[in-house]
Amino acid sequence: MSGTAERMAKNQKQVAISEFFEKNKHFLGFDSLTRSLITAVKEAVDNSLDACEEARILPKIRVQITKIDDKKNIIELKSEDNGPGIPQRSIEKVFGQLLFGSRFHAIRQSRGQQGIGITGVVMYSQLTTGRKTHVRSKIATEASAAIVDIGLDTRKNKATKSNESREIWENPDGSFKEHGLEVTTRMKAKYQKGRQSVYQYLRMTSIVNPHADITFIDPEGETHHWPRVTERLPTKVESIKPHPHGIHLGTLQRMCTESTDSRMTVFLRNNFSGMSTRAAKELLEVAEISEKAKPKSLKPEQYRALLEAFQGERTLNNKPVKLLNPPTNCLSPIEELLIKKGLSKTIDSRFVTTMTRSPTVTQGNPYQVEVGLIFGDGMLADKPVEVLRFANRVPLMYQQGGCLLTKAIESVDWRQYGLDQAGGRGVPKGPAAILVHLASTNVQFTSEAKEALADNSEVLDETRKALLEMGRGLRKHLEKKKKMAKTQEKFELVNDIIPAIAEKSAQILGRPVPELAGSITKIMSAVIAEEETVWNKETKKTDVSITLFNYTSRARSYTLLASWPERDGAVMENNNTGGRKEATGVWAWKLDTLEPGQTYVIKYTLSGLEKGDWTDTDVFFRGSQDVIGATKMDEKLLEEIRRQEAVGTSKEEESSDESDDVEPLAEPEVPPPTGQQTLFGGGE
Amino acid sequence: MMSRTHTNDETKIALHEVVAEMYDKIVKGEAPTMTLPVRTKTNIAFDDKLGVYKYGKKRSTRDATSLGSAKQLLRALHVVEFIEEMIDAGKSSTLREMYYISEAWGLGKFGSQNESNNLAEDLEVVTKCLREDFKLRPEEDGARMIGNLTLRERNRRGEWMRINARDDVGDSGYGVPYNVELEKIELLEHDIKFIMAIETGGMFDRLIENGFDEDFNCGLLHLKGQPARSTRRILKRMSEEWDLPVVVFLDGDPWSFRIFASIAYGAIKTAHISEYLATPSATYLGITADDIMAYDLPNDDLSPRDVEALKAELSDPRFADPWWQEQINMMLELGKKAEQQSLAKYGLDFVTDTYLPEKLAELGLA
Ligand SMILES: Nc1ncnc2c1ncn2[C@@H]1O[C@H](COP(=O)(O)OP(=O)(O)OP(=O)(O)O)[C@@H](O)[C@H]1O
Ligand SMILES: [Mg+2]
Repeated sequence: MSGTAERMAKNQKQVAISEFFEKNKHFLGFDSLTRSLITAVKEAVDNSLDACEEARILPKIRVQITKIDDKKNIIELKSEDNGPGIPQRSIEKVFGQLLFGSRFHAIRQSRGQQGIGITGVVMYSQLTTGRKTHVRSKIATEASAAIVDIGLDTRKNKATKSNESREIWENPDGSFKEHGLEVTTRMKAKYQKGRQSVYQYLRMTSIVNPHADITFIDPEGETHHWPRVTERLPTKVESIKPHPHGIHLGTLQRMCTESTDSRMTVFLRNNFSGMSTRAAKELLEVAEISEKAKPKSLKPEQYRALLEAFQGERTLNNKPVKLLNPPTNCLSPIEELLIKKGLSKTIDSRFVTTMTRSPTVTQGNPYQVEVGLIFGDGMLADKPVEVLRFANRVPLMYQQGGCLLTKAIESVDWRQYGLDQAGGRGVPKGPAAILVHLASTNVQFTSEAKEALADNSEVLDETRKALLEMGRGLRKHLEKKKKMAKTQEKFELVNDIIPAIAEKSAQILGRPVPELAGSITKIMSAVIAEEETVWNKETKKTDVSITLFNYTSRARSYTLLASWPERDGAVMENNNTGGRKEATGVWAWKLDTLEPGQTYVIKYTLSGLEKGDWTDTDVFFRGSQDVIGATKMDEKLLEEIRRQEAVGTSKEEESSDESDDVEPLAEPEVPPPTGQQTLFGGGE
Repeated sequence: MMSRTHTNDETKIALHEVVAEMYDKIVKGEAPTMTLPVRTKTNIAFDDKLGVYKYGKKRSTRDATSLGSAKQLLRALHVVEFIEEMIDAGKSSTLREMYYISEAWGLGKFGSQNESNNLAEDLEVVTKCLREDFKLRPEEDGARMIGNLTLRERNRRGEWMRINARDDVGDSGYGVPYNVELEKIELLEHDIKFIMAIETGGMFDRLIENGFDEDFNCGLLHLKGQPARSTRRILKRMSEEWDLPVVVFLDGDPWSFRIFASIAYGAIKTAHISEYLATPSATYLGITADDIMAYDLPNDDLSPRDVEALKAELSDPRFADPWWQEQINMMLELGKKAEQQSLAKYGLDFVTDTYLPEKLAELGLA
């Protein structure tokens, strides 16, 4: 009797889940015909990227959308990847069972988190067309691919399958597919262009996945291709144990009851990150739990006491028990250079600035903020900037206004950085796009639709800081551009206009053309540096030239210095004017005396870089008279760079010595979380 | 009667002085310059001898140390060259044509029509020549005129035509050409007591339809808003050569006040030739600020721009006399403006039967 009841109860729970989602399909992003299509593409592509990343494969993804019945809005979506594929026996669970995911319990950064995604697509397809979803899967160890049509029984939360068989998977070019997955599904949906479209979603995906090659064939048959711009896969992310600051009562209870550890000290040390032996002992002391207690036999009030100790509500000598930070190698930021490349491949513009903050922790969860800004021609100047939001490399396309990342952008006074912004609040206007990426082991959204990040003051602050820092880069760029435009004007003045005035006036008066040098010196009365950094298509190298003009009436002598990407592995070549290394990334040339009217040209080439890696050379000078187009060298700054270099090298030596330390990744102590658990609430 | 025209040689010499200033500066190793009077209200002053407002002593130097002003100088040189070519070829062109011709001037081409008009004025100011001397014609079309007055105009074939502006013209009146100098127009005779200058075409036509010119023995001149140089010039000639009073009938708003000032005292932009264009004896007939109240005229609220204009007028030397100060302050206090045609509130004949007779009576003209 009791066995039947239990089974029934279990079944009921599952029925409730399936039916709940059937009735609330909008939570899953299937609330409108256009959004449903984007959601379906998103679930499929996210899975492909996740699977490839896990299997360390450079993803090649192809998405095709075909209109089947225009009147009834029936659309077919075909999505193919070159990932590891799914073993035949697992296919029905992945596609036909909710909450079946490989990442459900792992704490690390991944796109998919809940095991709902692709099953939701299968369900939506079935609900709107009555059809099953066709899956083709090939794993490397088998010769043929598995094919099967999957539907699902929502009442039982079980897959229904038909036409299961195996076949040889041939690529269009006749070769055999080694491994990968293809999903073909029909649904009631609408294809739309614009800011919220499949196109935009894939474009955004390609920005934050510079290692992916993505092809999209739209319903009109047009092919859009976003090539791979780096061969580097995202760094392999490690799973980490939960941190006491991010744990919920239920989870703690489950962990205890499932534990086979013999005593609490061992349990704490084995199952949590940030936990030293001392911390474990102190926590148990303040929770009034014996160190020898068996985790399995803890009483409910003891769980609560332990949680209070975790949260710092129970204290030792009026202080919360000190814990170490969780390690942050479980995060996979895109990193500045790749954000740069990703942005410049989808938006044709000149200036990109990026900022990746160091990883940090909120409420026991590691996270990291990255921002990027692309600025310039080709974008509308009088419209709000394009906001490109991402969480764990997944584009967020809806609910922009309610998202923490947007709020962070809105909280910055962009006017000081050269963008228009009414009243210094809100999304700024200007020919720019701002990218914000949050990488975290536990991204908390405002709803199951996973479109907007929930509020968290620490993350907001961190994002703001990143934006401010990036804003300074933008301001520097704009100031430089303004200065360059001014210099350009001066050049036009003395090179074109003054000679023309001299010639024309001489001609009208019938007199000889006068000598110009005096007037030009008078007009310019400045020393001017002109810098040009250009990508040479033929040599595939970056050519730099710096020209110094003495437009004053006195002889001048200078040392010129230039920044170059030494740290990024660039090599300086053909530097015929010699000079010497001043510090890492700073080269210096001591110039001979420049007579009035004289110019001096420095030229060199940088190899070991790709197009777009280095587009701006900063020029500095040492000398008494100001140089337009160059900055006076800040000697203190230079010293600081040198000092950091010295520290940097000694640090490297040190850390290699202690590489076998027990907890090398742990970081300095953090205070316990304050207030409510919001964005990084952790748990289930 | 003064004649302001210069001979071709005088004009060339004057222009060469401008060029020489630039050339000599370069020879001296300095930035080329062009020196000219400041052309704003801060630099106009009443000339007692001439009875009009003229530019004062403030001069500004346009020097080629910035790209903008260097380009101006280069343009000026191109214009000088162009004028010389026209003088030598016995041709003339409109300002608009010059603007288009400047397309071929490379670095010296104009950015806008306004720029070319301004530069032509600059050269007038510096050389004290007239644009007629430069063989440059304005685009602006002159005013219309009606009334029992007779003049001679030399037509394109060089023949003199005798025209009576009442009997020899249609309802639209006599069209004033852009050149109204002696070589083109001679004033012969008239049988009128005064001339009335009118701002809007609607009012001009209303007075014609009502036979106002015949009933009151006057000449009517349509200003077409801010009057062209030739309009102001012919008004001045008629007033001086025939010794006729001039009354000015405009809308009641700050912009009309400015139109009146340009007619009676001289315009800021053309203060270098005020004595040649302005009619100091002209009287402002209406609409005045007190008319708005006295006649209870339909009105509009002053816009922020109107208010700004009125305030600027308070410090304009041309409006310094007590009557104008009172009118401007009154309008500011009222916060209202009214159009000429708002008089139609009392019927189509009200303006000719009541308003104008009353206003003219105050002046002893009716
Ligand atoms: N293209 C694919 N290649 C290989 N494995 C896949 C692929 N798509 C899905 N899987 C596997 O199926 C599991 C379930 O996918 P599903 O989209 O339902 O959930 P999820 O991605 O874990 O979470 P979420 O609900 O956030 O999408 C994945 O965790 C993964 O193990
Ligand atoms: Mg998924």
